[in-house]
Amino acid sequence: MVPLENYLVLSAIVFSLGVYGVLARRNAVLILMSVELMLNAVSLNFVAFAAYLDPNRITGAIFAIFVITVAAAEVGLALAIVIRLFRNRSTSNVDEAAIMKW
Amino acid sequence: MATEVLWWIFATAIVAASAGVVLSRSIIHSAIFLIGSLAGVGAMYVFLTVEFLALVQFLIYGGAVTVLILLALMLTRMGVSGLPEKVNGPQAPFAAFVGVALLSILVYAAAATTWPNNISDKPFPISIETISEKLFVDYGAPFVIASVLLLVALVGAIILARQEEGE
Repeated sequence: MVPLENYLVLSAIVFSLGVYGVLARRNAVLILMSVELMLNAVSLNFVAFAAYLDPNRITGAIFAIFVITVAAAEVGLALAIVIRLFRNRSTSNVDEAAIMKW
Repeated sequence: MATEVLWWIFATAIVAASAGVVLSRSIIHSAIFLIGSLAGVGAMYVFLTVEFLALVQFLIYGGAVTVLILLALMLTRMGVSGLPEKVNGPQAPFAAFVGVALLSILVYAAAATTWPNNISDKPFPISIETISEKLFVDYGAPFVIASVLLLVALVGAIILARQEEGE
């Protein structure tokens, strides 16, 4: 069977790709997609630990459910903000939405 | 043995799809890659024997969230000018450096840690009954709070995205 470390390394790779995406991308929706990647990597970690440790303590799996719930709420709100931004400024690039920068 | 081969196939697919999300030139391609990556993580939950989470992952992430993202992409596309926009900012090399540095730290940490002896070499099956018992008994209060959070987020999203008078 696959040992726990494989899951940890896999989720580390996906998380790092998400970090790169958040930092490098200009489009707000692309940044949001990278955040989703990071959230998924973290949930995978939680579930892997829950499955490999004590079978009576499955807090990691429960936490993954809450991560999915909060991510759904976050996506809804963030996309509403992006649509708002696009309507007011005709762009969804975060570096062009700099009116509050001094 | 067959499980391991399958695991490596899915792991490669997840990494490839995630790389596609952050490296693709086209936004729509990124969204399609995201579906692949999220579905792959759902398959990982099957390998971890948490079928309920795999189901939730396919339904909510693979279905609802990606459709929402695709919808927002359609609504906020410039597209008409035909000019290919730069997808990465000038900070992209720095971001790549941060990503690689973080990856090496995390992989080193995972490899260097000595895990306690009670860690098993294969995942325990986590049944849907165990999850429901934990979720509704031990974590009842967070469950209710999460429902309030979803309601607030829903109302907030509607108010934010609403077309106001005189706009």
